[in-house]
Amino acid sequence: MSLLEIQNCTMKFGGLTCVDSLNTHVGKDELVGMIGPNGAGKTTVFNIITGVYNPTGGDVLFKDKSVVPLKPYEVAEIGISRTFQNIRLFQSLSVRDNIRVSFVKSIKAGFFISTFHIGNYLKEEKEIEDKIDELLDIFGLLDVRDEYAVSLPYGEQRKVEIVRALATSPELLLLDEPAAGMNPTEKTELMSLIKMVKDKFKISILLIEHDMKVVMGVCERIIVLDYGKKIAEGNPEVIKNDPKVIEAYLGETHH
Amino acid sequence: MKNKLLFLSSLVLVFIINLFAGNIDPYYYTILIYIGINIILASSLNLINGYTGQFSLGHAGFMAIGAYLSVSFSTYFAPFFIDTFGQGVFGNSISFIILLFIGGIAAAIAGIIVGVPSLRLKGDYLAITTLGFAEIIRVVIQSLDVVGASQGFRGAYIFENGMKAAMIPADMSSVPYVFYSVPKYTNFFWTFAFVVIIIFFISNLMSSSYGRGFLAVKDDEIAAESMGVNTTKFKVIAFVSGAFFAGIAGALYGHFNLYINPEDFNFLKSVEIVVMVILGGMGSMVGVIIAAVILTILPEFLRGIAEYRMIIYALLLIIMMLLRPQGLFGVQLRPKKKK
Repeated sequence: MSLLEIQNCTMKFGGLTCVDSLNTHVGKDELVGMIGPNGAGKTTVFNIITGVYNPTGGDVLFKDKSVVPLKPYEVAEIGISRTFQNIRLFQSLSVRDNIRVSFVKSIKAGFFISTFHIGNYLKEEKEIEDKIDELLDIFGLLDVRDEYAVSLPYGEQRKVEIVRALATSPELLLLDEPAAGMNPTEKTELMSLIKMVKDKFKISILLIEHDMKVVMGVCERIIVLDYGKKIAEGNPEVIKNDPKVIEAYLGETHH
Repeated sequence: MKNKLLFLSSLVLVFIINLFAGNIDPYYYTILIYIGINIILASSLNLINGYTGQFSLGHAGFMAIGAYLSVSFSTYFAPFFIDTFGQGVFGNSISFIILLFIGGIAAAIAGIIVGVPSLRLKGDYLAITTLGFAEIIRVVIQSLDVVGASQGFRGAYIFENGMKAAMIPADMSSVPYVFYSVPKYTNFFWTFAFVVIIIFFISNLMSSSYGRGFLAVKDDEIAAESMGVNTTKFKVIAFVSGAFFAGIAGALYGHFNLYINPEDFNFLKSVEIVVMVILGGMGSMVGVIIAAVILTILPEFLRGIAEYRMIIYALLLIIMMLLRPQGLFGVQLRPKKKK
């Protein structure tokens, strides 16, 4: 059974069909890419999975349970985390505090313990602190942990977003155009980073990306969307040679 | 441990200062108490507007609920409090703690009632809803005879036949009665004890990992929600705790002034508290406290120039906002990145 199962999912905004009867899945420990021209509905699929939108038809199952009725924070609680196409870091918080927010959902100390600093408060804070430092160390961000997250260079902000998503201990990580705005060196670095994340944290990844080099380089399976419909699915080799995909990206061939 | 030690020693300090507070000139003493009450009001609103980023414009409404409810209890039930706890220093203290919490909890309940449905709104909409709520409270009080309606409330008449009222009804003028005025419980100690409590409450909460949830809600609700933060819950917690302390401030105010009038809690009072928060710097505790002190003292300093007083007061606010839009101690954040 797959980790994530998208069944006949449709999303309509008024008369516009953004996602049209999409059927697909993401298996355990799988790295799946989702590509398609602008406006193909990729981010909408992410928003459906994370509970931002309720699909107008069909269902999305995560570990055999529907995520459709869940609110975004409940989706995060059951183990789906995401990054954003336009970086959404907390601008008034440091790198470390940005990541600390991901622990809010799992903190045992509630309102009262956090107010009075009683019980296991200090012990738990220390544990969180250590976990944050450990994560930052893996991504080479330990030196900048006390800086405002939004003051970092673009590539590092993307990294902080990935760390923040990982800090919620997800089983499925959704990356929305992680390579957007990166230079070729940063992209190469990102590719090895994504592979490392998948192996080290043993999670499944669903990735939206425009950069073919990145997608072809890391993904095991690729889903191609065009106008909300799935037009192809398969491994990178198959996708590269699929006439429908070429048509969607390069336009119709004239005879 | 260090934290709790500091908290206790601050309370002891407040207690010791209180022993000498009797020597302070009554005029300065009054200003001192108002400074304390305004610090509580501004800090509690800072929790909602500054830290959590929700624009509430009805703080005077919560203050009114706290003031009216605790003052009603201390007058209408005065015989009960006197019989149960006596009128010694110790008995009065217990009575007052109970009365303060009655005010605080009533305001907190009002906070839940207003907050749960309206915190789904954002920005201007929430501001208008909370403003409307505060006006409703004021207008309702204005027409409630049991608390003196628009004439204000200074105590309760308890008649020999068991009737209780805020004013002597025309047909009861011959019935003997006892008048219970509002007891003057509020002093330096109680006011500044709650200043210490709210400072520790906010700094403890905001320095905890849990407290980062509030700041995350302010910065980016969508991102916070996606990281598993129940944004509605955090907004309601901030709103209700803010309301609770506003209720306490109201109870302190009522038991100091000994006379409360619905006009004390009008729209301008709400605006005054919002100005303190903005002037001090949203989300900066030190800034907001200093702004509360300055804005309480400033009108007093300007008394000398009588009729031009409010013009200069307003002018200073405008200059302040032009020179330091982020507030006295606010952090200048980088402009939000656009892509």
